[in-house]
Amino acid sequence: MLVSNKYAKEKVVIEDSSPESTARIRVEFDKGKLRKVEPKSAVLFMGGG
Amino acid sequence: MKHIRRCERRTVLSGWRWLLAICCAVLPAMPQISVEAQTERQSTQSTASGSELSPREKKVIEYLQGVWGKDHSVMGVDQAMEVVGSDPSDETRFRIGQHIKQHPELHVIIRRWGWETLVLTPDEKLIARAIINAVREKKPTPTLAEIAKAVAISQNDVKRSLTMLERYQILKRDEVVGGVGYAVSAPRYLNWHPRLDFVFHRMTVSSGRHTSVN
Repeated sequence: MLVSNKYAKEKVVIEDSSPESTARIRVEFDKGKLRKVEPKSAVLFMGGG
Repeated sequence: MKHIRRCERRTVLSGWRWLLAICCAVLPAMPQISVEAQTERQSTQSTASGSELSPREKKVIEYLQGVWGKDHSVMGVDQAMEVVGSDPSDETRFRIGQHIKQHPELHVIIRRWGWETLVLTPDEKLIARAIINAVREKKPTPTLAEIAKAVAISQNDVKRSLTMLERYQILKRDEVVGGVGYAVSAPRYLNWHPRLDFVFHRMTVSSGRHTSVN
């Protein structure tokens, strides 16, 4: 929601982790659009509009 | 009549003697009681003064109280310390974190998401998860090198984080478990929902905002 509304004109980086392990996940958005996910094997669920 | 009054006086005197005797018997024990009470009070006071925050540390807490909950913020202590310009030491972070742990009444976000969510860094959360998951999955306790590799940080940083997790009483030293020599200190951490424990979602916005969101 924040990415597509409040920060819709900005670049946003989310640093996260796999809920089941210690693997880190990094997701990058630019102007509300998903640009990059690391690792590529990460399954991303996006909600909130 | 006089006889009755004498009897009354005797009874009163006898009562006073008994009272005096009780007092005399109790008095030797009193210093010990009062010392114990004082010691207890002193220890409480020293704990309180030990957790007394400096003006800069209070500023971090006030800042967090102002941002928590806004735009889904569950900002971490380390992030707030950076914003406020606080001394970035582990000691300062621990003092602020301990205050939050001891005062859930400060904000609904502490009560809703738990103090662990707010006071631990992502590295500390991942390290806690590495050790806890090993117990859950009945695997050997990971070694220092294995944790460093799994969390992608240096062994020195793992050691620092383990110290913090021990100070927060999430982990405890236990050589018997092997590996890195730390065990989970409270069963509740093993019983947490495996996919909801020690989570973090750190957000950095190009305009400069750093926070964590739920």
